[in-house]
Amino acid sequence: MSGVQLWDTRQTEPDYAKLGPAPECASNVYGQAIDLIELLDNTVPREQSLYINDNPAVGENPDRNKQHAFYFTADNCIGCHACESACAEKNETPSHLAFRSVGYVEGGSYPDFQRMNISMACNHCDDPVCLKGCPTNAYTKHTEYGAVLQDPDTCFGCGYCTWVCPYNAPQLDPVKGQVSKCNMCVDRLEVGLKPACVSACVGNALDFGVVEAVPENRSQAKTAIPGFPDPSISQPNIRFQQRSELPDEMTRTDTAPIKYRRSAEGDGYHAVLDPKLGKERSWNLGKLYSHENPLVLFTLLTQAAIGLVFIPALGAILGVDALHSVLTGDVLTFVLITAFLLSAGGLLMSTVHLGKPMRFYRGFNNLRYSPVSREGFGVAIFMAFAVITALASLPRNDLLNSALEGVAGTSFAVLDGSWLTPLLFTTLTLALLGGAGGLFYMIKCYLIPARPFWNHWQTASAFVGNGLSLGSLILGAIVILLVGVTESMPVLQTLAIVVAIGTALEAIGLIAHRHANRADAQHEGAASQYVQVTEFGKTYVLRNVLMLLNLSLAIFASLGSGDLLLVAWALLNVSIVCAALLGRALFYVLVIPTTMPGAFFWRNKGFADHAREIGLQKVVDAGLV
Amino acid sequence: MFFGRSKRNPVRIPTKPVVEWKYSTCNYCSTGCAIELGIGSDGKVVTSRGHAEADVNRGKLCIKGILEQELFESPGRGIEPLLRDTNDRPFTAVSWDQALDTSASKIKSIQEKYGRDSFAVVSTGQLLTEEFYTLGKLVRGCIGTNNYDGNTTLCMASAVSGYKRSFGSDGPPGCYEDFEHTECLMAWGSNLPEQHPVLYWRLKEAREKRHFPMIVVDPRVTMFAQWADIHLPITPGTDTVLMNAMLYVIFDEGLEDAEYIANHTNGIEQLRETVKGYDPKVAQRQCGIDEDTIRNVARLYAKAGVSMSIWTMGINQSTHGSDGVCNINNLSLVTGNIGKPGGTSLSITGQCNAMGTREWSSCSGLPGYRLLENADHRQEIAEAWNVDADFFPPKVGLKQTDIFPAIETGQIKGLWLVATNPLTSMANQGRIRKMMEKLDYLIVQDVYQDVETVEYAHAYFPAAVWAEKQGCHTNSERRVNLTRNALAPFAKSKPDFWVFNQMAKRFDNAANMNFPEDTETVFDEMKQLSVGQGRTLDISGMTYDRIEQARGLQWPFTQANAKNQQAGSPRLYVDGKFQTADGRANLISVNFVNNNEVPDTEYPFWMNSGRVVEHFHTRTRTGKIGNINKFSPTPYMELNPDAAVELGINHGDYVRAISRRGDAVVMVQLTQRVPPNMVFIPFHYHDCVNRLTLGLLDPYSRQPAFKQCTVRLEKVSQTLAAQLNLQRRAF
Repeated sequence: MSGVQLWDTRQTEPDYAKLGPAPECASNVYGQAIDLIELLDNTVPREQSLYINDNPAVGENPDRNKQHAFYFTADNCIGCHACESACAEKNETPSHLAFRSVGYVEGGSYPDFQRMNISMACNHCDDPVCLKGCPTNAYTKHTEYGAVLQDPDTCFGCGYCTWVCPYNAPQLDPVKGQVSKCNMCVDRLEVGLKPACVSACVGNALDFGVVEAVPENRSQAKTAIPGFPDPSISQPNIRFQQRSELPDEMTRTDTAPIKYRRSAEGDGYHAVLDPKLGKERSWNLGKLYSHENPLVLFTLLTQAAIGLVFIPALGAILGVDALHSVLTGDVLTFVLITAFLLSAGGLLMSTVHLGKPMRFYRGFNNLRYSPVSREGFGVAIFMAFAVITALASLPRNDLLNSALEGVAGTSFAVLDGSWLTPLLFTTLTLALLGGAGGLFYMIKCYLIPARPFWNHWQTASAFVGNGLSLGSLILGAIVILLVGVTESMPVLQTLAIVVAIGTALEAIGLIAHRHANRADAQHEGAASQYVQVTEFGKTYVLRNVLMLLNLSLAIFASLGSGDLLLVAWALLNVSIVCAALLGRALFYVLVIPTTMPGAFFWRNKGFADHAREIGLQKVVDAGLV
Repeated sequence: MFFGRSKRNPVRIPTKPVVEWKYSTCNYCSTGCAIELGIGSDGKVVTSRGHAEADVNRGKLCIKGILEQELFESPGRGIEPLLRDTNDRPFTAVSWDQALDTSASKIKSIQEKYGRDSFAVVSTGQLLTEEFYTLGKLVRGCIGTNNYDGNTTLCMASAVSGYKRSFGSDGPPGCYEDFEHTECLMAWGSNLPEQHPVLYWRLKEAREKRHFPMIVVDPRVTMFAQWADIHLPITPGTDTVLMNAMLYVIFDEGLEDAEYIANHTNGIEQLRETVKGYDPKVAQRQCGIDEDTIRNVARLYAKAGVSMSIWTMGINQSTHGSDGVCNINNLSLVTGNIGKPGGTSLSITGQCNAMGTREWSSCSGLPGYRLLENADHRQEIAEAWNVDADFFPPKVGLKQTDIFPAIETGQIKGLWLVATNPLTSMANQGRIRKMMEKLDYLIVQDVYQDVETVEYAHAYFPAAVWAEKQGCHTNSERRVNLTRNALAPFAKSKPDFWVFNQMAKRFDNAANMNFPEDTETVFDEMKQLSVGQGRTLDISGMTYDRIEQARGLQWPFTQANAKNQQAGSPRLYVDGKFQTADGRANLISVNFVNNNEVPDTEYPFWMNSGRVVEHFHTRTRTGKIGNINKFSPTPYMELNPDAAVELGINHGDYVRAISRRGDAVVMVQLTQRVPPNMVFIPFHYHDCVNRLTLGLLDPYSRQPAFKQCTVRLEKVSQTLAAQLNLQRRAF
C-alpha cells in the first residue's frame, strides 16, 4: 500500500475481522461476472485509487475489483444492535439516522414461537435503482468492491433514492437536508478488514466477502428470506442462510399492516395484508398534510399546465370547432402565460421540497438514467417554449394590440407576417413535446417496484386525467375572462366533455387500481388499500363521491345551457379541485414501501407518529426529529 | 453500465485521528470486556474499540460498550456539588469543601443523636475496586456504622450466599473458557444474548466449533431459549422443584458420581432423603415441566462427560435465590462437575464490579472475604488500618433491603447513596418514596444529577465516570482488569475515590489511618491483605502493569505465580478442596415452599421483569445516548396476543397494570414470547415496573424476588395514558 494508512489496523486484528477468500465461481447467481473489470470488458483499469478522503493510496486487497456482498445467517441474529451501534460509531451518524437497522418478524404460539431478526444495510446492488433514480448523480457504483457510494455534498435532498430503494438503505436527514448511506466501510476493505458492523456481530450472524463466497460453517446462499423484498427489483448483493423451519405466518411488530405467509407453491414467503389496525373508518384529514405536500401541488399544477396547453391543441388537431377557435384568438397568449406561471409555481413547490433548495440546478445531472431529471427537463422545455410561443403570439393578440394602439399609437400587430404561423406551430409543438415528455417521466417517477401502490397504470390515468380536468377548468376560466360569459357557453360545453373524459379516465384507473390492491394481493399495495379504506376510510369515500359528482356535473354541463350550465360549471370547479387535492394527498400518504420490517420502537412509523404527537421525542432521545 | 464514470464523486468517511490508545475495562456488566479508548490531540476520546488481545472479549463489544465513549459528555452530568436544607427547596451550588464539611457534620450529628448505626451507606457494583476498598475503610474505620451495603443485594446476593453455603466461600469457581470444554450447558434464568452479549458470543463460538447440547430454563421464549436444544418454559419461582426432580432422577437411576460425592462432599444422605419427595410425576405439577422432559434433561446433564450450569437473575432474584444457587451447586457436585474444564457452576454476575465489591468493599464484613464475626479477622484489619478492633461491630449489619425498612421504622435517619438509584431500582416504589421522605439527611453521589433519587437529596456530589478515573474491576470469572485514567473528570466532578478520601479527613479516626492519594498504592495495600491461610482471593502477584500486559488476570494470582511468569487461575476447587472447615463441599438440602404471590382471579397475570440489551440498570447512562436509547425510549410490556384479545387490548395501546402495591401505565407490545398468563416489563424505567413489584426477600441473601408477583390489566384513556407516560420521563 502506498501513501497514508486508510484505516488504522492493529497487528493483532482477530481473524473474524479479516476478509476471507473469494469463491471459485466467476459469476453470481444472476449470471453476472463477479470480477467487475471483466464485467466491463477490461475498459477500466484495475489499480485505481478510491481517493478515500483524498488519500491516493490503493488498497492491496487482491479481490478489490470483485463484487462484495453481505452474508446474513438469519438463524443466528440475536437482535443485539451491535452491528447498528458499530456502524453509528464508525460513521458518526446521529440517532435519527442509521445506515444499518435491525427489525424482526415473528410467528408461532407460546412456547413454540420464533422471532427472526433481520439486520439490513445497503446491498450495493447489481442494478442500483438509487443510482439510476438520483437526479443529481450523487451515486457511483465503483469497480472497487462493487460499492455503491453516495456523495452527500452532491445530493440536494430530493429523497427520490429513498423511494426507489426496496431496503430503506439511503437515509434522508431532515436536519441536514441531504441523503447519506452505508459506504461498505471501503476504508477497512482496503486494508483487508470486514466492515465495522460485521466485525462487531456477536451472534455470528453477519458476514461479508466476495459475493457467492459461502463462509466457513455455512451451506446456503439464499437470495431472500421472509420479510426481504423481491430480489429481482435490483439484484441486491446479500446472501442468506436460513435453515430453521419457520412458522407458516410471520408477523411484523411495527404498524405496517403486512405479514408474510408461506406460499402454497413452496417458493418462500409473500407479503400479505395483516389487517391489524381494525376496521374502523376514519377521516384523518390532518394526516393528509404531509412532508410531500409540495409534491401534491407540484404534480397537480404541472399537470394542469400541460393539460391547459394540450386541450386546445388537441382540439385544433381533431377539428373541434369550439376549441379550435381558442387557438387562433387572444386566448392563446393567456393560455401559454398561465401555463408557464402554473408550471413555475409547481417547480417552485418541488424546489421547496428539496432538502437543499439552492442546489436545484443539479436536478438535470442525470438525464442518462433518472426519470426525475428527465421530468424536470421536460417541464423546463415546456415552460421555455410556452413563453416563446406566448411572445410569438403577441402580434395576433387583438385585445392587447387594440389596447396598445389606443395608448401608444402602434402595436405588435405590425410584426405579423407569413413567417409567424410556421414559427408559432414549431414552438408550440416543442412546448407540447416538452410537456408530453415531462408528464411521461413524471409518471415514470412513480412506477417504482419498491412502492407497489404507485407501481400501477392508475398513476398514468390519474396524472393524465387530472391534467385534462384541471386544464379544462383553467381554460374555461380564461375564456370566460376574455370573451365574456355568453360567448363562452359553447366552449364550456365542450370543455365539460373533456372534464368528463378526464374524470372517467381517472375513475377507471382507480377501479382497476383497487382491484390490483385487493386484500388478497401478495404485495404491500394490499396494505395501502387497507389503510385507505380504514384510517382514511371516510376521506376515501368523500373523494369517490366527489369523483361521481364531478362526472355527473360534467355530463350535465355538457348537455346544459344558460344559467344551469354556469351553475354546474361553477360547482364543477370547486368539486374537481377538492377531489384532485384529496386524491393526490392520499396517493402520497398511502404508499407503503417494500422496506424491511421494523422493530417495536425503532423503524416503527406508528410509534414515531405517536411520539411526535405527544412530544415524547422532545423529552427523550428516541431517534426522532 | 453504471460503473466507470469518468468523474467519480469524492469518498468521504469520518476519520478517527487517534494520538494514543488507553487501556480500559468496560464499566457496564460483569463480562469484563477490555476496551481501548482512542484519545485525540485535544485530549478527548475520539473512538474506542474492543481490545483484540483480551481473552474475555477478543475484540468484541456489545452496543453499550461500543458507544460507551459517549458517556463522558452525555446530558445530565453533575457539574458541581449541590446542597439544600430541606428537599422541598432548590439546591445551591457549593464548593467541594462546603459540601463535604456540611455532610460530615450532618453524619456526626445524626450519629450523636441516634447512635452510630442510624446513618447508613449504600453503594453499588459500579465503582472501581480501590474505591470500594477505600469506602469500606471510611465506613468501617471512620464513620463506624454497621448499616453499610451495596446494591449488589438486588442482583448478586443470592449467588454469594449460595456459594458460601455450598463451598464455604464466595467466588465463581469456573470461567468463560469452560464453554470450550463442556459437553452440556444448562442456563438457569439467564438470557445471555441480552444481558451478556459478548459472553453469548463466546458460547456461540464454542458451539459453532463443536456442537454440544444447550438447555435453557426460562418462562419467556428469549432468543437464547429459542435456540436452545431444549427450552424449559418453567413456572416462575419453581426452579428448585425442577432441580430437586433432576436430582431425584440422577439418584434414582444411579447417574451420580459416587466417588466424588464420597471424597469431597458432606450431606449426601440428607439430600437423598429430601429429593425423594420430588418424583418428576409429582414435581411436574409444580414446575410446569412434564416428567418425561425432566428425566430427559437430568440424564443428558448427568451422563455428559462434563456439564456446566450458568445462571443469572432468574435464580438470584427469587425468594429461593440462595437455595436455588445451592441446588445448582448440588447438581454440579453430585455429578462431579466442579473445578473441571467444562464442568462448573458459574454465576454470571450482573454489574461490572459486583465481584470487586464482594471481595473488597467490607459491605458483608471486612476486606478480602473476611468476616466481622471472626475476631481474628477484626484484629487483622484493625492492625492493618490502625483502628481499634473494638470499633468494628462483631456481627454484620443490615442489607440494603433491610436498611430501607429501618428507615421506615425510624432506626435509620441518614443515608449516603453512592452510584445507585433506589427510587427506580427497588421493589414497591410507593413504599420506597415514603421511606425517602423520612430521611433527615440524604447524600446522593452520582455521575448524573438527574438521577431520580436526587429528588430527595440534601446533598449531591457529582462523580467522575469510568475512564475519568483509574482502578480495577473483577469480572464474573474472577478476572481483575484495569481501567487507566484516559481523561480529566467532567466539569467539577471528582473520582469517587477522591470523595471518599476527602470525607475521611473529616473524621477523627482518620488521623491515625492512612488514606493513600493514588489508587495503585491502595491496590498494593489490598494485595498485602489478600495473602494468607489458603485464601483463594489472592491477588498479591498482580500489578497494574502486569494486569494490563495480560489483559486481565484471574485470581488466585500469587507472588509465586508472578515470579514464575504464570497466568492466573481459570478455576477454583480443582483439587476438590473447598473453603470449609473440613475442606469438603456442603450438599444443601432444599425444600420448596411456595411463598410467592401467584396469579388468582383478581390478579390473573404473572408479572416478570428483566433487562433489555441496550439499557443498563435505571438508564441513567444508557438513556442519555441516543443511538442506544432509541431502541427502547419508553417503557413497554410484552403481552400475549391471545390474552389481549380477551381484554380488548391492541398492539401499541397503553394499559394500566395494577398490583396489590400500585399501578403503572405501560405501552403494550403483543408477542407470543410470553405465555397467556404472564406479562414482561423491562426493569429499567422510572415510575414503571417497580410501582408493581412485591420483592419478597430471600431468607439467606435478603435479595428481593423482582420477577414473581401478579397484576391485572385495565384499559385506560389513551390520551391520558400518553400524557402520563410523557410526564414520567425526564430522559
